[in-house]
Amino acid sequence: MAAGVAAWLPFARAAAIGWMPVASAPMPTPPREKRRTQDGLIILNVSGTKFQTWRNTLERYPDTLLGSTERDFFFHEESNEYFFDRDPDIFRHILNFYRTGKLHYPRHECISAYDEELAFFGIIPEIIGDCCYEEYKDRRRENAERIQDDEDNENNNDLVSPDMTLRQSMWRAFENPHTSTMALVFYYVTGFFIAVSVMANVVETVPCGSSPNRVKDISCGERYALAFFCLDTACVMIFTVEYLLRLLAAPSRYKFVKSVMSIIDVVAIMPYYIGLVMTDNEDVSGAFVTLRVFRVFRIFKFSRHSAGLRILGYTLKSCASELGFLLFSLTMAIIIFATVMFYAEKGSTASKFTSIPAAFWYTIVTMTTLGYGDMVPKTIVGKIFGSICSLSGVLVIALPVPVIVSNFSRIYHQSQRAEKRRAQKKTRLARIRAAKIGGASAYLQYKRNGLLGDRLDEASKEAGQALVTKTSATFENQHHHLLHCLEKTTNHEFVDEQTYESSCMEVSLTNQARSRSSSVSSSQHGLSSCCSRRNKRKSFHVPNSTTGADRHGSIQELSTIQIQERPLSNSRASLNAKLDETAQLNCDQPFLTAAIISMPTPPVTTPEGDESTSSADYLQSNIVRVSAL
Amino acid sequence: MKAKNRDQSFSDSRELDGSYDQLTDSVEDDFELSTVCYRPEGLDKLLEQTKFTKKELQILYRGFKNECPSGIVNEEAFKLIYSQFFPQGDSSTYAHFLFEAFDTNKNGSVSFEDFVMGLSIILRGSINDRLNWAFNLYDLNKDGCITKEEMLDIMKSIYDMMGKWTYPCMQDNAPKEHVENFFQKMDRNNDGVVTIDEFIESCQKDENIMQSMQLFDNVI
Repeated sequence: MAAGVAAWLPFARAAAIGWMPVASAPMPTPPREKRRTQDGLIILNVSGTKFQTWRNTLERYPDTLLGSTERDFFFHEESNEYFFDRDPDIFRHILNFYRTGKLHYPRHECISAYDEELAFFGIIPEIIGDCCYEEYKDRRRENAERIQDDEDNENNNDLVSPDMTLRQSMWRAFENPHTSTMALVFYYVTGFFIAVSVMANVVETVPCGSSPNRVKDISCGERYALAFFCLDTACVMIFTVEYLLRLLAAPSRYKFVKSVMSIIDVVAIMPYYIGLVMTDNEDVSGAFVTLRVFRVFRIFKFSRHSAGLRILGYTLKSCASELGFLLFSLTMAIIIFATVMFYAEKGSTASKFTSIPAAFWYTIVTMTTLGYGDMVPKTIVGKIFGSICSLSGVLVIALPVPVIVSNFSRIYHQSQRAEKRRAQKKTRLARIRAAKIGGASAYLQYKRNGLLGDRLDEASKEAGQALVTKTSATFENQHHHLLHCLEKTTNHEFVDEQTYESSCMEVSLTNQARSRSSSVSSSQHGLSSCCSRRNKRKSFHVPNSTTGADRHGSIQELSTIQIQERPLSNSRASLNAKLDETAQLNCDQPFLTAAIISMPTPPVTTPEGDESTSSADYLQSNIVRVSAL
Repeated sequence: MKAKNRDQSFSDSRELDGSYDQLTDSVEDDFELSTVCYRPEGLDKLLEQTKFTKKELQILYRGFKNECPSGIVNEEAFKLIYSQFFPQGDSSTYAHFLFEAFDTNKNGSVSFEDFVMGLSIILRGSINDRLNWAFNLYDLNKDGCITKEEMLDIMKSIYDMMGKWTYPCMQDNAPKEHVENFFQKMDRNNDGVVTIDEFIESCQKDENIMQSMQLFDNVI
């Protein structure tokens, strides 16, 4: 119900007096009014800015935070007011909503901040007043597109899921050529061949000098027919192979076949095959010639290579209604003017306007201000109407064009922004990562001090306290304690990068020595390799990850000790060699199926993610302990 | 509801925004009238004239002013406000009758004084006052007696507020039957009209009506 209407409820109830005398049944008892507190003022303290309003005002909307008992959670006893730790500027608008019943959207506020406030106070954005609703929707859509873009890029770029089959990786290579060199090569090769094919089509028709038995020039295509045929065959072969590969790799073949690009591909190569199967028959050769026209559609294959072309296509699609209107109005005008011109010129002798359809040509040429001059009116009436025709043509065409242009501009700018954001993202993410690593190192620092305090508890209690407790705040203390608990739970410790790398080197050296021998050492390895077998797929694919810097983020378990060494070696061959070794050891210890805490997270560094062993000894002791589970 | 008539929207200037197709002179008239802000007489005078306390008047006025910032409410706004309470049916006819009853000086608008005096009678008046007011409501042409046609109009407007979806299904002759019952009860001398005395007398004899009249004591 609207705002002030709640205040009119007493009136509505009073107006019920008209029903009483005519009522055929006794009235129900009225609801018990709880001893209503006087309509007092409520103080709302929002981050220091005090707002005051009547209690009734807030209770107009009982399904929001302020109107319901939910606000009691924010009541501050000492100052007898309701305290909200939110933005006071945006709160102003929210309170105005209660007062006037209309929610406005301030244009200078960030859309997500505003949305958050609305969500907090339990107000649905749909009730934003008409004056501000469009702006709100536009900003929201923009924001959503931006986030969607970012997400898409993230998904595309970071999708290094180790589970990718050949098919998926092929599809990815096709869609994002810059992900691997093979894909890039393929991309350029197809582009080159498209260009070559189009050029060949063009050059084919150029007159190439005359042959001795013919009078006029023959085209290059006829002269060097074999060469052109070979070239055409080669191009079509490449295109066919590409199309088949794409079809194979597509996650949804049906959707792929329906897509525009695939249709263009098919149209580009079909004429060749049709030409192959068709015999050199007289009656079908005309159709054959027509088919060759379709070869020019190969030029549309460039739209995979050019973003600008795609934008143009997308613009035309989104302006379909404007284009339709343009077409429709042009058609109407053409018919009208053609009819008029025909009847106007009917009188004059030897007039070119033989029929109304014949006059269409004149009308089109005039309205688009081409004016070839092959058909001109000769009578005065014809000339008058001809001039009106050309003037109106200018107007009719000029009207929808700005709409199309502005659409194109909007879409183009959007894509520009997307490009820029993509470029900026990398630096932004790097900076954020650096900040996070800073947070992780704080914990490690604390640990060194804390361990100190742990072992030398009695002796250096004061010193330890001075080091540990005075410098860090309550929040940090509790956070560090939490991380410490996690370490104790998992029997692992957090370390920093250098320690980890050095420990891995040690482990790899010792393991290399041991891997040749059997039994004793193999039992210890057996555990790790056995568990690595359980998680074989995941851990083996880790080396393929291109984000080398985050390797320790993704390897969190004991069992991948062997695998942890992998990223350190640089050549793939050596990686493969080591993998084989562990694979051989796998069968030895089938009974060791200890539960390893394995958390294969995506390779993003988080403070809690830096788990690995700090020393070889610790490693061994950990292995033993875990196997006892 | 859009203001279709020309001389209506002098209370809500926002209704002028939709009037593209109004003739310019009427728009100017509306503009002139809409800038007039009607103020009620002082709070003290209203205290004398009505039986409300100061706080009650304050609350009533705040609600009134919030919905009608210009100080007066016209029939369209009245209907709109009333229809918010009855989303299922069509309350416009009954709201029209109410408007007529509140608009004591017949100038097409209800000011705060009219509003509050009407409410005072209904909510704070004696039973007889209330019955009088109800009679005034029913008597559409204000000639002192209620005819069957008037009663039928009132009854139809009340049934309209119910809307279509009722249980049991709304019969077409339900209002008429109801009117017959009413006249049987109220029309003492069977002359086809109900006068004020007949009305009050019959109501006082009816327990249900007496009881329902007392419901209004605690509305505000």
